[in-house]
Amino acid sequence: MLVDAYSKKVFNIAYQFAGSYEEAEDLTQDIFFKLYNSIDKYDFERNFTAWLLTLARNYLIDQYRKTKWEKKTRDAFDERLLQADSRSSPEENVLTQETKKIVWESFNHLSSEIRMAVILRDIQGKKYEEIAEIMDLPLGTVKSRVNRGRLQLAKVLKEKREKSNGM
Amino acid sequence: MGCERIEELLSPYLEKELAKKDEQAVENHVLTCRSCAELLSLLREAKETLSSFPELDVSESLREKLYDVPQKKKRFGSVFDFLLRPSLQPVMAAVTVFCVILSFYMFHPQRAAINRSIERQFHIGISKVEKLYAEAESITQSLGEYKDNILVSLKNLNPFRGDEDEQPKT
Repeated sequence: MLVDAYSKKVFNIAYQFAGSYEEAEDLTQDIFFKLYNSIDKYDFERNFTAWLLTLARNYLIDQYRKTKWEKKTRDAFDERLLQADSRSSPEENVLTQETKKIVWESFNHLSSEIRMAVILRDIQGKKYEEIAEIMDLPLGTVKSRVNRGRLQLAKVLKEKREKSNGM
Repeated sequence: MGCERIEELLSPYLEKELAKKDEQAVENHVLTCRSCAELLSLLREAKETLSSFPELDVSESLREKLYDVPQKKKRFGSVFDFLLRPSLQPVMAAVTVFCVILSFYMFHPQRAAINRSIERQFHIGISKVEKLYAEAESITQSLGEYKDNILVSLKNLNPFRGDEDEQPKT
């Protein structure tokens, strides 16, 4: 069943992209509605996951462009994400929580296209070739966007730390 | 290599995608450039942080809503499918144009002036039609007067008569 197989992936991408839990739930429903509407257009020679993620990516970016002025902030990096992160030890949490919080909130500094490329590469762990297929872009462009996104995040991290250290 | 070029190579360096020569250049550069070394360390940290973001589970309420999506599609799908048929596109376009014109008329600040202008044009149109009708009537009358003459002329001409002189004498 499509919901069992793909809802988690679609929801997480929507949450990481939009930064709001409630909005991600609405977006996931919209994406599944679109999926059922366009399933007859699916080309069986294409990888289904890539096709679904292309649909999700197009919808998320379109929605973001329509309402970007309303989306100046993301949900706080809150208990939901910390509770789900069972891999970190308590000591490690203290050190990394702050960094995670800054990186999570810094996503708003990235343009929608760069943000999506970084999410697919660094959070979802997709290969560059897969991302190029999902985003319908040349491989070099994808690499350049991921590179730019990481650099922007690193610079924001540096800036925020300097501020918090009172430099 | 300058810092700007090294900055572009840091991300591929972390992913071990650089050629040996470029990799060596990055390593040599960060040994001497504090700013690029710091950026490399921050990039590594950002990348590791991103990969450690957990995946959240889908809530039961969302899962139920997603199961209901095909039903929702069935309920509304047929109506949308009907309205979005390609054959209805010209009708939709005409309706859109009509609505645009209507909204322009409804919300125009000088609606009264538009009304007056429409009324004037309407009366001008009606008087033109009346004039045309009167002209048509006078032409009909004139034709009626000449009708008899035309019929007599046609009878005299008698285009179907043929050549009587060439008929054999009995």
